[in-house]
Amino acid sequence: MNEERDEHSEKGQEQKSWCSGTWEKRTPHMRLQLVWPLQSPGSFSIAGHQVLRISVADEAQVQMVKELEDLEHLQLDFWRGPAQPGSPIDVRVPFPSIQAVKVFLEARGIRYAVMIEDVQSLLDEEQEQMFASQSWARSTNTFNYATYHTLEEIYDFMDMLAAEHPQLVSKLQIGRSYEGRPIYVLKFSTGGNNRPAIWIDTGIHSREWVTQASGVWFAKKITQDYGQDPAFTAILDNMDIFLEIVTNPDGFAFTHSKNRMWRKTRSLTSGSTCIGVDPNRNWDAGFGKAGSSSNPCSDTYRGKFANSEVEVKSIVDFVKDHRNIKAFISIHSYSQLLLYPFGYKTESPADKDELDQVAKSAVEALTSLYGTKFKYGSIITTIYQASGGTIDWTYNQGIKYSFTFELRDTGRYGFLLPASQIIPTAQETWLALLTIMEHTLNHPY
Amino acid sequence: MQLRRQPLPAPRPGDPDPAAPLLVLLLLLALQGAAAAPAGPGEPEDSGWRQDAEFPRGLLSQAARAALHFFNFRASSPSALRVLAEVQEGRAWINQKKEYKVDLVFTTELYNPEEGKEHLGKCSARVFFRNEKPRPAINITCTRLIEKKTRQEEDYRLYKYMKQLKNLLDVVSIPDSHGHIDPSLRPIWDLAFLGSSYVMWEKTTQFLHYYMAQLSSVKQWKTNEDAIDFDYTVLLHEFSTQEMIPCHIHLVWYPGKPLKVKYHCQELQTPEEASGTEEGSAVAPTELSNF
Repeated sequence: MNEERDEHSEKGQEQKSWCSGTWEKRTPHMRLQLVWPLQSPGSFSIAGHQVLRISVADEAQVQMVKELEDLEHLQLDFWRGPAQPGSPIDVRVPFPSIQAVKVFLEARGIRYAVMIEDVQSLLDEEQEQMFASQSWARSTNTFNYATYHTLEEIYDFMDMLAAEHPQLVSKLQIGRSYEGRPIYVLKFSTGGNNRPAIWIDTGIHSREWVTQASGVWFAKKITQDYGQDPAFTAILDNMDIFLEIVTNPDGFAFTHSKNRMWRKTRSLTSGSTCIGVDPNRNWDAGFGKAGSSSNPCSDTYRGKFANSEVEVKSIVDFVKDHRNIKAFISIHSYSQLLLYPFGYKTESPADKDELDQVAKSAVEALTSLYGTKFKYGSIITTIYQASGGTIDWTYNQGIKYSFTFELRDTGRYGFLLPASQIIPTAQETWLALLTIMEHTLNHPY
Repeated sequence: MQLRRQPLPAPRPGDPDPAAPLLVLLLLLALQGAAAAPAGPGEPEDSGWRQDAEFPRGLLSQAARAALHFFNFRASSPSALRVLAEVQEGRAWINQKKEYKVDLVFTTELYNPEEGKEHLGKCSARVFFRNEKPRPAINITCTRLIEKKTRQEEDYRLYKYMKQLKNLLDVVSIPDSHGHIDPSLRPIWDLAFLGSSYVMWEKTTQFLHYYMAQLSSVKQWKTNEDAIDFDYTVLLHEFSTQEMIPCHIHLVWYPGKPLKVKYHCQELQTPEEASGTEEGSAVAPTELSNF
């Protein structure tokens, strides 16, 4: 169970919980929907707007606040709507309505507090902070690969990389997250027309920070090694690589702003106050079977139906449209494992022997660098039964070389892997990826 | 496979560690009222158990983890904590109630490895995963990893260091988001891990196991008495559910003495409980400006 702290903090704290953008009017009981990208100032002014937290003592007061809600001309934006006594109500009040609202509440003896004095200046401060505190890399050569980065920094990195290598790298948007963030995939291609492709994703579980960090490193590595390393050049001369670094951007933003241990998406589930679906239980492979949870509060909650999560559906659509993906690798942490299907059933995949052989070679390559020990095998026999998983679906789609990694470590630090281990982890994992990519290249199907 | 067994004298307060050439820890837990050592295979009391040749693949690792948590707890030594290296061999027996008895041999490493030095220990253990018992019953024997005198000196050094630490109440999140632990706070992490070992021992089953993910807060740190009195919360990462379980732990430690631990872990919210407008646990009450 994750400890949820209040989303709307006091001024000066936790400013990252906002994303600059338009403020949408929402129906009560819904949480704030963040919209991306940043709208230019002047198109919508929130200068002087305040956020009030109202504390209702009884049902009568709840009703009074509901009356307030109905006064359309006040243009109130309820972030947390009137529900029952004891539940705080948060509302953004435009500057012209502030006086009227406060008078309304005070006349009825309804307690309130000013949570945010001036929403606009808070956003300005947040922007300032972001620029001041982060060392803003100006190129991918000055980017610090040995530290963990924010979503903004990683998205910036992608733009820089694509700008530096326009012949090789392009950035595709495959969808928008639940909270409206763009979902990007980097495409590495030396030409051709819909060549057979390798897919790699990192960060589907947002707390697994070493994976997104490794994804960034892989992206850079690809641009460095193409044309330099003969084996890799042969791969990219014949195949394309798709790399989705932040597969769960809402979750990732949340791990930075509120809860470092957040795993799932950030979608709302009607009928529950618990948030989020496990994106690695939401795929249409054994969906709903043993190995996932039907409890929305669980960290392995499968969702109401397969592909309910836009983060998952975006990939599904991409894969189906592309039709020529030959290897699919989904990267997680931790446990130091290399896994192939299935997770939802004990029956072996038809290609079990070959997959096992490839896994064995990949692990040997990985271990050769720093001695890091990996185990390998099918998901269900090596880790645990898990239904609705990514690579079970991709394998069933006919993508034979479907693998999942669990990177460092084995529990000493777990998700909180020291940043000093990012590069060694990425380096050793890359050797395993090369093994898989080479095998895919040499065994067309 | 024969387990070497030596009975452990009942610990009395103030007793030094019973001298033995090897560090041997054996706890004979009362099993359903019986005070005797668990019967070996083939003996009359054992007729409920039949060997299971096809035990679930993860069972040996589960048993090793439980055994090691128990070992760390009983050793009560923050400078000599061990982690699992490799399971080498094992056998399992199952009874009619689908409970398991596991005999296994495994290697261990130091939780805090020294640069360049490899400390590989070896343990053999017998672990019972019972259905109604609150925790797995363990017999474990391990080879010594560190000279006893060195271990005692190191524990005492840590103790003296911790005694003079102040102002720990504003400690939050060790490690931080980037996996960093300030070296000056490392002993606190180790002590927290020691206390968590007790919790993880009790909670480990043949299906569930744990890692300590983070020391999330220090509620109390008292060193005015002889012992260190440490009240804190941790997050335990639970496999295979992937949940982060917040646990409140209170321990009392003095070097050479058995650790005393009390704890309370939060349960996962059920769908029925999640009916208010709050998600998860306590939200700090906010000040009201016109009250």
